[in-house]
Amino acid sequence: MLAQHLPRGLKWLWVIPALLFFTFLIYPLIKLAATAWNAEMLRQLTDSTLWQVALLACGQATLSVGLALFVGIPIARVLFTYQFRGRGFILALVTVPFVLPTVVVALGFRSMFGDAIPNGLMLVVLAHAYVNIAVVIRLVGAQWATLDPRMEVTAATLGANPFRVFTSITLPALRNSIVLAASVVFIFSFSSLGIVVVLGDGSSTRTLEQVLLRSTSVLLDFPAAFAAAILQLVVVSLVFVISSRISRNEPRAKIVLERKQISGRKTILSASLTCLVAVIVVLSPIASILWSSISSSEGLTLQWWSDLFSTQNTRIGSPIDALVRSLSLALGTAVISAILGGAIAIAVMSKKGFVVTLALIPLGISAVTLGLGILLAFSRGSLDLRGTGALIPITHALIAVPIVVAVATPSLRNVDPRRYFVALSLGAAPMRAWWTAFGTVFGGVMLAAGGLASAVSLGEFGAATLLTRTDAPTVPVQIARLLGKPGESEFATAAVLSVILIIISMTLLLIVDRIATRKVFT
Amino acid sequence: MTDSILQVRNLMIGYEKALTPALNFSVGPGEILVVVGESGCGKSTLLSTLAGVNPPLSGEILLGGRNLSGVPIHKRNIGLVFQEPLLFPHLSLIDNIGYALRASGESHSAARIRATELLDWVGLGEIAGQKTWQLSGGQAGRVALARAIAAKPAVLLLDEPYSALDPETRLRLLSDVKNLVTSEGIPTIHVTHDRSEADLLATSTLTW
Repeated sequence: MLAQHLPRGLKWLWVIPALLFFTFLIYPLIKLAATAWNAEMLRQLTDSTLWQVALLACGQATLSVGLALFVGIPIARVLFTYQFRGRGFILALVTVPFVLPTVVVALGFRSMFGDAIPNGLMLVVLAHAYVNIAVVIRLVGAQWATLDPRMEVTAATLGANPFRVFTSITLPALRNSIVLAASVVFIFSFSSLGIVVVLGDGSSTRTLEQVLLRSTSVLLDFPAAFAAAILQLVVVSLVFVISSRISRNEPRAKIVLERKQISGRKTILSASLTCLVAVIVVLSPIASILWSSISSSEGLTLQWWSDLFSTQNTRIGSPIDALVRSLSLALGTAVISAILGGAIAIAVMSKKGFVVTLALIPLGISAVTLGLGILLAFSRGSLDLRGTGALIPITHALIAVPIVVAVATPSLRNVDPRRYFVALSLGAAPMRAWWTAFGTVFGGVMLAAGGLASAVSLGEFGAATLLTRTDAPTVPVQIARLLGKPGESEFATAAVLSVILIIISMTLLLIVDRIATRKVFT
Repeated sequence: MTDSILQVRNLMIGYEKALTPALNFSVGPGEILVVVGESGCGKSTLLSTLAGVNPPLSGEILLGGRNLSGVPIHKRNIGLVFQEPLLFPHLSLIDNIGYALRASGESHSAARIRATELLDWVGLGEIAGQKTWQLSGGQAGRVALARAIAAKPAVLLLDEPYSALDPETRLRLLSDVKNLVTSEGIPTIHVTHDRSEADLLATSTLTW
C-alpha cells in the first residue's frame, strides 16, 4: 500500500542501487566468467589439488565452529538469561573481536603466542573461533532470551538432572539459532583470508580464497582463480541449503522474557567465572598488540609510535601514507554506502525486493572474487577506472552492503507506515509527509550505513590486496606485508598500525551502535 | 468546511474482490455514523478507501458535492485516526497537534497558539512539555484526536481508536470525541466491533 503512495520523486530512486549493482556487481561477475570460463578452467575445477584445499578448509572450518560453539554457548547463557551489573558492558566487549580487522586479530594471536604455538591449524582455528564468539553469543543468546525457563523447571520436576535438562530441553529449543550461528562461523572460516595468510602454514590451512588470491595476483592464472571461486560458491551455497534444511520451520518467539536476577552462590560463582574467562579471552590478543606497540627487546618504549611519524620505510611504504590512504578510502566508501543504504531503504519501501536480493549477492561472493571481477571489468579502454581511485570504495561498499541491508531493514520495519498516511491526511504534501514519517529513521540508516561500511573498508584485506598498487597499500595490506618480514621494528610497526585501526574501528562502531539502538518510539 | 456532507454512492471496497455490498450513506455536520461489524468485514478498509489510501473497486465518494476520485490523500481534507495514536515521535506534543496547520501554510506561532488551545481543550495543557513516548495510552489518544481536528477537517474518520485501552479510559475518551465533534460540527465516521460504542456515540449506524 505504501509503495503506491510514495512521493513521485522517491518512487524511482530504487533505480540508483539497481543500476549500481548491475554495473559494479553483475557486469564484473559476467566479465569474470566470460574471461575465465574455458576448457582450462573446467580442467582446474576437476583438479584434485583444488578439492584437497576445499576438503582441508572444510575440516578447519568445522573445528572452528566446534570451538566457537563450545566457548560461546555458556557465555550466551550467562549474558542472556541473567540480569547483573556489568552485563551490558561484557556483552559489548565480547562483540569486539567480530568487528576487528582480520589481520589485526591475526597479529594479536601471533603476538600473544609468539613461538609457543607455531603457525598452523591450531592458531588458525583459535583465531577463527575468537572472531566468531560474538556470532554465537548474539544469535544463540537472542533465542535463549525468548525461552521460558519454566520449561526447564518442568523437566527437572519430572526427574531430569541438569545435564539431561540441558541436552533434552534447552539445546533442542536453541537448535535453529545454533544451526544459524554454526553456518555463519563455518562460511567465515571456510572463506577466510587475512587470518590464514598471517597465521597459516601455507599447506594444511590453505583456503580457496587464498588460492584465488595467489592465482590472481601472483600467477595471473584467471581460470584457476575462477575455478576456486566457483567451488567456494558451491560450498557456501551448500552450507546455506543444509542449514535451512536442518532448521526447524517454527515461528520465531518475539517476546523477550525478563532476565532473572542472578542469585545463589553456585550460580553466581559459575556466571562470574564464565564472564571472567570471556573478558580474558577477548582482551588478551588486544592487550598483547598494545604491549607489542609499546615494548621492545630492551623494555618499554614509545619509539615505534614516534617512528611512525618520522620515518619513511622504503621497503614496505610509509605507514602514515597507508593510514591516510585507508582513511580516505573509508570516507569514499562511507559516502557511497550512505547513498546506497538510503536508496536501498527506499527500494524496500517501494517493494522492489529484487534490489534487496541484488544487495545480498556479495554475501555469497568472496571479496577477492569481487575485486577480481571489478579489476577485469574496469581496467581497460574507456572503462578504465583504475586511475580514479574509485575501485576500492566501490568494492568495499559492495562488500558492506549486505550488512547495511541487515541494519536498515529492521529499522524500517519498526516504523509504522500509517504515520505517513496520518501526515498525508493532515494535509502535508507527500514529500513532507514522507520526511515526517520516515526522516529520522532514514537519516539513521544512511549514517549507520556509512559508519559500518567505513569500518568494513578500514579492515578489508582481500579485495584491497588485489586492487591497491604495490607502492600504495592500505593499512591491513601494510600490516600483512610487515608481518611477512622478519624483524622487531616491522612487527612493532604492524602493532602500532593495528592499535590505530582498533581505535578508529571501535569508535566508528560505537557511533553506529548509538544510532542503530536509538530508542524506536511508537 | 464543516458544513460539508460526505456522500457515498454504490461504493464497493476491497482488494481484489469486494468485501462489502454496494454501500450508500451520507454524513452531515455534527453527525456521527458508527460502522459496526466483526473483525475482517471491511470496516477499516472502508475508512482507508474514504481517506484515499485504497482505491475503491467501484462507486463514488462525494465531499460537499465534489467527487474525490483521483484526489490524493493530502488534498482530501479528511482526518484519520488509527487504532494506535501514531504520534510523530521526533515532534513535540504542540508540534504534533499543529502539524496540519503548518502543512496548510499557517505560521509557526499561529499553529502553536491553536495547538496549545486544543491541548488545553483535551485536558493535557499541563504536560505540553512532555515527549510523545512519555504519554500514557489515554493521553496519546487525546493528542491524536486533537491533531486530527486541529485544521478542522471536512470529515473525521476514526478507526477503532482507543480499542487497546482499558474500558474506563476508552469510555471517557469516546465521550470526549462526542463532545468535540458535536461542538465543532465535524461529520464523523467511527468504526468499531463493539455495539455499546454505537449506543454511546451514534447518530446513525451502518452494518452489512
